[in-house]
Amino acid sequence: MKDWTSIAKAAGLDIPAKDVGRIAPSLNALDETFRPLVRNLTPEMEPALSFRADQERA
Amino acid sequence: MTIREAAEALRHRRFSAVELTTAALGRIERFNPALNAFITVTAEQALNQARQTDADLAAGRDRGPLHGIPIAVKDLFYTRGIRTTAGSPIYRNLVPDYDAFAVSRLEAAGAVMLGKLNMHELAYGITSANPHFGAVRNPWNAKHSPGGSSGGSGAAVAAGMVYAALGTDTGGSIRIPASFCGTVGLKPTYGRVSRHGVVPLSWSLDHVGPLTRSVRDAALVLNAIAGHDPADGASSRHPTVDFVPDEGCSVRGLRIGFPESFFFERLDTDVELCVRGAIARTEALGAEIKPVKVPDMAAMNAAGRMILLCEASAMLEPHLADRSQFGPDVLALLDQGRLLPATDYIHAQRLRRQMQREFAQVWSSVDCLVTPATPNTAPRVGENTVKLGGHEEDVRLATTRLVRSMNLLGLPALSIPCGLSDIGLPVGLQIVGPPFEEALILRVGAAMEDGGVGIPPCPVA
Repeated sequence: MKDWTSIAKAAGLDIPAKDVGRIAPSLNALDETFRPLVRNLTPEMEPALSFRADQERA
Repeated sequence: MTIREAAEALRHRRFSAVELTTAALGRIERFNPALNAFITVTAEQALNQARQTDADLAAGRDRGPLHGIPIAVKDLFYTRGIRTTAGSPIYRNLVPDYDAFAVSRLEAAGAVMLGKLNMHELAYGITSANPHFGAVRNPWNAKHSPGGSSGGSGAAVAAGMVYAALGTDTGGSIRIPASFCGTVGLKPTYGRVSRHGVVPLSWSLDHVGPLTRSVRDAALVLNAIAGHDPADGASSRHPTVDFVPDEGCSVRGLRIGFPESFFFERLDTDVELCVRGAIARTEALGAEIKPVKVPDMAAMNAAGRMILLCEASAMLEPHLADRSQFGPDVLALLDQGRLLPATDYIHAQRLRRQMQREFAQVWSSVDCLVTPATPNTAPRVGENTVKLGGHEEDVRLATTRLVRSMNLLGLPALSIPCGLSDIGLPVGLQIVGPPFEEALILRVGAAMEDGGVGIPPCPVA
């Protein structure tokens, strides 16, 4: 489990400690599901970002 | 009465658009104090618009089936000269000087706009218990939530205040209120309807769509709002068609996928009975119901949540210096998003592409999928957990469980009412199709509706 309080502090985020404590279980639960999925990603799998240079207008 | 019925009556001069609008405003006056579906009612403007539509119709200028029909939009659609709050004090002074693309399309189609609908704060939640504008109540039972985030849209349509409403859906926010309020709700394919002029929550997951009292009405609204818009970078050039299903349309010969694993786990008993009953009815109408295996939907929900948390926090970070502007549930989600690393956001978008490829295989064996829309019926206002299959679950995570993945995949998904629980609350069924196959899922929904799948009108409608 990650130390969310230290992460918040290191990122310079002004989130009160009691609020970090309140959201830590949700973050841990998400991380627990998400982390194994990431391990199975292969390098050729690019992100599904929608940016296309030909769509940009001045 | 549906849009189609009202449109026909208008053309036969059985009543005028002014009379129809006056009646709708009367219902808002009568029911809104209890339901709190509207943030802003634009009565004077609506009556002026109605007078104009009557004059147009009398002069032979018929703008189509929405001409003279009272509608309203969630209060995150930009409306020229009318305050647009997104249910938050952040936007308390926002009075746009232009209309959202979808709003201008509805206006061009002759619809009469009655006002701006209440919603979950910033569209970031599913209860519509808005701490700044008050909780929206469910017209079927005011002790219960209408769902959200388009809760005012669901409540206003179910209570007969308007014939159609626009909502947005980032993780189920059209289909959840449709399910809980017993209306039809359509989330089109990502890119099908422009998001221009809509206060964003999550750029890559936000969708715009209608809530209505019938499937064909949803198709009529989609006809008006679908199409390419150069002002929205994600807007598709995919050709539009007439989305309204034919009279007597059929499901005969269609292969309808029945994904028992995941979608039929941990359901409220009434939900399971109603949805299985509707599927059996659809089979009797001639559809081939095929059991189908779907990819890991829990993994999709995790990737979807990761993207939503990161994008929403990026969107709202400029306002986080003053934490007092946010309700506690929204603030908790915004804090979560700020603590996630950029690498996880990128990974989630990589997973999204992988999952899109995997899910595309499903369409080789079936034409569409039918699932419950929500595993539960509307929870009571203020209820934070729900018990399903013997497990106590967070009400937000439970309610979004069966709908969120369709935002990640960008697939069109329709919620239709398919029964009532033992305490008289609506149950919603979800029909999901391949990209840009709105016409197909609307056809399936209309055939089911014609074939007897549905619920009686809401007691207050």
